[in-house]
Amino acid sequence: MMTIELIVNDKKYVLEVDPQERLLDVLRNRLGLMGTKEGCGEGECGACTVILDGKTVNACLVLAGQAQNSAITTIEGVGNRQKPHPVQKAFVEVGAVQCGFCTPGMVLSAKNLLDKNPHPSDEEIGVALSGNLCRCTGYDKILRAVKRAAEEEK
Amino acid sequence: MKYYRPQSVKEAIDIAHSAQGMFLAGGTDLVLQMQKGKILPEVLIDLGKISELREIRETNESVEIGSMATFTDMGKSELVAKKASALWLACQTMGSPQIRNQATLGGNLGNCSPAADGLPPLLALGADVVLLSVEGVKQLPLANLLEQTPLLSPGTLIGGFKIPKRHQFTGFAKLGRREALAIARLSVAVALELEGSKIGNVRVALGAVGRRAFLSEPLAQSLSHQEFNESWLKLGIRQVQGVVREALGERASAPYKRVAVAGVFREAVASLRLQGGLDK
Repeated sequence: MMTIELIVNDKKYVLEVDPQERLLDVLRNRLGLMGTKEGCGEGECGACTVILDGKTVNACLVLAGQAQNSAITTIEGVGNRQKPHPVQKAFVEVGAVQCGFCTPGMVLSAKNLLDKNPHPSDEEIGVALSGNLCRCTGYDKILRAVKRAAEEEK
Repeated sequence: MKYYRPQSVKEAIDIAHSAQGMFLAGGTDLVLQMQKGKILPEVLIDLGKISELREIRETNESVEIGSMATFTDMGKSELVAKKASALWLACQTMGSPQIRNQATLGGNLGNCSPAADGLPPLLALGADVVLLSVEGVKQLPLANLLEQTPLLSPGTLIGGFKIPKRHQFTGFAKLGRREALAIARLSVAVALELEGSKIGNVRVALGAVGRRAFLSEPLAQSLSHQEFNESWLKLGIRQVQGVVREALGERASAPYKRVAVAGVFREAVASLRLQGGLDK
């Protein structure tokens, strides 16, 4: 076992983990943050996307040890029912959520884009979300939701 | 499994030497293989905290890229864009944003998948690899390293890459099954020097054609020192198809790749950008 320190959603954690454990396992099983989903477990689908030190990563391909001393944002740190993030609000209003499994990852990729680039072009939105797969929506509503969130931020 | 997180290159090499450990770069390949049980290292040496390995810098003769530079680092680097264009192009389409944020150039070589996106551009650019071990520093052309099996002797750390600054056109194109997140089915990197109004030396490297990316000597010979025009392009396409035919033999993918490489080569040539050479 090894000791790691993580800052997850602005809260510091000191944890004893198995070196083989992935960040995804730690977030879900140890911290109970079930919003981070495991889809393919191979870095293809993006359902496990979290923001690690300002960059999106697939939590299924990061060992917990690699995240030592890093700041991590999961969907639980983005917004809540009372106070949704503008991206979450737009997803609901546009109807960009169907089964919802890809949504946390989509929202995090979109949030990270808008944090860095508040007024992205359609192409920039497409590239930012290119690592997140959705089997339901056909993407159109998701792209519209991100655009809308960007416009409302103005 | 023991997990080390060295703070310096020296510390990393010492651990690798004494504990026979395996280096962990970005982890996008290794973590997956560990998860599937294909690789179960007893000692893992995480290079993520060694900042000197992540540097991208320019010297008088070359662009130096540390082995832990990520595809995002390179893809956002103006220096890489201007002086190693083919590599910069490859960084734009490799994996997804999430993968590019994590995957490193050193890891790309260490894992050495046939489809590794970073290797054909490095080959075409004439890059050297810097290898570090307790025995010292060794620098050799990437093309030579890729002919060795095993690729690296135990305890050897890929320190980084030195790309010579040349005034030349370089380009890259790859064929995937979709635009994003696609593993290269075929990739072509081209570097083309100028000799007055003619083409000087040409280097063409292919990826996902055979076991490892390679630089084609026959292509270099038949395409160098000529006029740059449509018949040169046609000759290139014929020749590159021949190279793929020879490299793949009777493999199931051969009939497809033999034809497809024509388009990928054409795209790689269309992507050629003039990159700066030595500052004068």
